[in-house]
Amino acid sequence: MTIRLLALCLACAATPLGAQQGVAARLEGRVPPEVVALVQQLAADAAARGLPVDPLVQKAIEGGAKGVPADRVAAAVRGVAAQLDAAATALRQGGLTSPDTGAIATGAFALNAGLGGKEISELARAGGSAYSAAVTLRVAGTLAALGVPAAETVALVSAAIRAGQPPAELLALPARVQAEMARGVAPAQAAAGLARAAASPSHGGPPPSRRPPKRP
Amino acid sequence: MTDFHPHVKRLIDGELALADLPPELRAEGEEALRLLAAVDRRPVVLSAAVDARVMAIVRRRAAVPSLWRRLVQPRDVRLRLRPWILAPALAAAAALILLLGRTAPQPAAAPVTVRFVLFAPQAQQVAVAGTFNQWDAAATPLVRTRTPGMWAATLQLPAGQHQYAFVVDGARWVPDPSAPAVDDGFGRRNSVMAL
Repeated sequence: MTIRLLALCLACAATPLGAQQGVAARLEGRVPPEVVALVQQLAADAAARGLPVDPLVQKAIEGGAKGVPADRVAAAVRGVAAQLDAAATALRQGGLTSPDTGAIATGAFALNAGLGGKEISELARAGGSAYSAAVTLRVAGTLAALGVPAAETVALVSAAIRAGQPPAELLALPARVQAEMARGVAPAQAAAGLARAAASPSHGGPPPSRRPPKRP
Repeated sequence: MTDFHPHVKRLIDGELALADLPPELRAEGEEALRLLAAVDRRPVVLSAAVDARVMAIVRRRAAVPSLWRRLVQPRDVRLRLRPWILAPALAAAAALILLLGRTAPQPAAAPVTVRFVLFAPQAQQVAVAGTFNQWDAAATPLVRTRTPGMWAATLQLPAGQHQYAFVVDGARWVPDPSAPAVDDGFGRRNSVMAL
């Protein structure tokens, strides 16, 4: 009897219905019912494919809070779902066989900020197992949001990773670029300058094992 | 009943030793100890009536066990495992673990103190809304600072990436001019911070 009850409880807890009700509860009173239904459906699809659900709910809540019409909220939520899908694909192509939801959500943010799937894959590859993809992509996405072009963004983050900079220093890169921009330097030049500094041996530079061998 | 001298009574109670008694009371003390020892060694014999009464009560209680005794009484338990019952439970547990493992948030890092500042001299009220407060335009108001026209609020936010905007006079959504921004999908811009 007890075992049957346990089985029933576990089956109930695992059902996607519970997750869908959670989405509905978060959206209740914030967006029109048709948007709730759409987000429930997209969230169920996303969860089934290992994608994060929270960005979808957040975008719908944001649309409701800003007084955006239902059809535009629905379109924006669909756009986020597509970005999550693209980010997961790019991360897998970058060598992360099963990326976690945090990395996927941040990858979607980076795509929205202006990076492409190719750059997401490159950054995932550059970070390898030593760096959290979520942190790497958070930094890259913020740099892109500052106006740093995709190529310079990848170059700067990759240089910092090669130099072995800790995550806290990586997270400080956007502020350093912003400080340069405040002095009148263009975002691309600011990022390029910081990338050169990260690569130079006097500024930490790459570890000896990664430096190219000297030619005679 | 023998009426002992108070000192001898104290000897019986163990408060005094025999050597503590005055010489004229020692004989009385020895007699009292002898009697006490005899009483101590005498076997206790209960009457047959007491035996019968006690055993009757025990039998009655054994015949009708109380609910509490049924619960706490040790007994043999035979556990039969039926695979066809366990299989759905194990499958559901595995699904639950997989679901939780995939959607579980990262371990919470230490919160970061963030100061939001906006220069809005014409505003009557300013708030900040974003992913950290469910985009609630009333949840986090900014207060006027000593600098005229300047509004500010200091928050503790979890590490991570946050999007936000200022809400001026409850209706106008304004991106933070000092922060990077991205398209919000609704034709406006959201400010971004990476903590």
